[in-house]
Amino acid sequence: MIDLLMLILDSPFLQRALVGAFLIAIVASSSGTFLVFRGLSFMTSGAAHAALGGAALGFYLQATGIAPWFDPVIGALLFAVLVSVVTGYAGESGIAEKMEVAVGVSFAFSMSFAVFLMYYIPSQDVLRIWAYLVGDILLLTDFDIISLAATTVILVFIMILFGKEFIYVSVDMEGSIAHGMNARAYHYLMLIISALAIALATKAVGAILVYAIMVAPAAASNEVLRSVRSVILAVFCIALLSELAGISLSFIIRVSPSAVAGVIASLSYIAGLYVKRARQHVGLDELEKELEKHQPSLTPSMPPSNHHHSH
Amino acid sequence: MGRQLMMEANDLAVRYPNGDIALHDVNFSIDSPSFTAIIGPNGSGKSTLVKTVLGLLKPAKGFVKLHGYDSVREKNRIRKIVRYVPQRDHIELNVPMKVKDIVLMGRLLKKPPPRFSTSKDRNAVIAALKQVDMDDLWERPFPELSGGQRQRVLVARALASDGSVLMLDEPLAGTDSHSQDLIVEALGTYHRENDVDIVMVTHDLNPIHSYVKDVLLMKNTVVGIGTPCDIMDLDMMKHVYGPTARIVEHSGHRYCITKDSGFDRHD
Repeated sequence: MIDLLMLILDSPFLQRALVGAFLIAIVASSSGTFLVFRGLSFMTSGAAHAALGGAALGFYLQATGIAPWFDPVIGALLFAVLVSVVTGYAGESGIAEKMEVAVGVSFAFSMSFAVFLMYYIPSQDVLRIWAYLVGDILLLTDFDIISLAATTVILVFIMILFGKEFIYVSVDMEGSIAHGMNARAYHYLMLIISALAIALATKAVGAILVYAIMVAPAAASNEVLRSVRSVILAVFCIALLSELAGISLSFIIRVSPSAVAGVIASLSYIAGLYVKRARQHVGLDELEKELEKHQPSLTPSMPPSNHHHSH
Repeated sequence: MGRQLMMEANDLAVRYPNGDIALHDVNFSIDSPSFTAIIGPNGSGKSTLVKTVLGLLKPAKGFVKLHGYDSVREKNRIRKIVRYVPQRDHIELNVPMKVKDIVLMGRLLKKPPPRFSTSKDRNAVIAALKQVDMDDLWERPFPELSGGQRQRVLVARALASDGSVLMLDEPLAGTDSHSQDLIVEALGTYHRENDVDIVMVTHDLNPIHSYVKDVLLMKNTVVGIGTPCDIMDLDMMKHVYGPTARIVEHSGHRYCITKDSGFDRHD
């Protein structure tokens, strides 16, 4: 135990990884949960990949000297927010299919755009673009941690302040508007703040892990649990445990911590479905037992009553 | 003191989002207080009318007012006085929200953020759930309820809320007869005991005929307006529901038999 603590204290990269894992678990339990409630889990993937396209634009503008001040992170944030706004616009009427299509189109555009620009970017920067796709939680920089922490604090603050509104928008957009709530403003606020968090998390750990951590635990918990609060808590635990498992395992065997975390998080969804199905079976068994209880009570009662009549 | 209008429309025309005409030449006025039923076959513009009144849809022509407030210019005023129950399938079942929280929503939506609930709010929620016999299931997740139970909870949400007009879009659609009786009874009692207007979109006038004061018969425009007795007119029914519509008299009651909605009973 003391060895482990010493190891953590001695290695700043491990400290950053642990803090990063903690922050991303918070992002997953707030943004991820609400996006799953809203039927918009796919937007996570759209915003994460848009961040990659935006970062590519940043590297291109810097490398060519067109706009040296345009940091790739600015591009990533800008593109992710753009995708979330387009998605939000398509979904204002509350139709999920339209939002899915909007995300799909933005996703395709950002990725094509990124690959297009890669031909004009110095090869060492191309590697840094790929890091947006498959990042490594053990390679986080201080900047990653600070920016992610700042966004997470804002995200949590907004979620606590407007959690009810976000739930109302997800449950009954039309009714919320008719009762005088500015549902559109909350709809966009939630999407934009989620996009910012997703973009920074993507820079930190890569789009693929962000998608796995943000969506699978929330979807799994939503299948099984029966209150909003318990879903949020469960997502935090699943996300954090997957990441910690990934980090720990990477010290024992030669594996990518992100890959392990992604696999475990994804498996949580399958586990969730399994638990739900098992529970339904139990429900059926109980129903059968109950029916059996009622049926014998009818049949055995017949002979005595006959007996009674014969007298 | 002049009469107070609950709802009035003048030369109103509304288009569906796809551009088709949903309502045209709509002219009517209904006095307050009223229990109004908006009836008509599928696609006759009943829900569209309600959504236009709430400012969710904009008129292409003319205007509609609720308690004197214009649906476009004064929609914020309207939304303060209205308690709305959308069609049941407009409620997203992906969120594990509890029954009590759904009902509480009716009260908290009328407050500014952070919308904290007080003991007064919670008492109103329990009282409303009792009126529709759902107070035992108040901790249950809403998505786990049956269709009829969900509809009762949504009606309870309106009963618990504040505002002088209740607007309900097909609150009896897809409900079992037990739920239907509970909802009709709760709304009728609430209208009798409180100074509120109720506007209800429905397929079937039968379950509510004895509570309703005004009926608006629609087929993309107002075909008829009046008491339930006035509306049970064969020519009007045939115009709206097609040539198969029949008015049948039996044991002192008049029934309207239509292909669209079974029959509307009428005393």
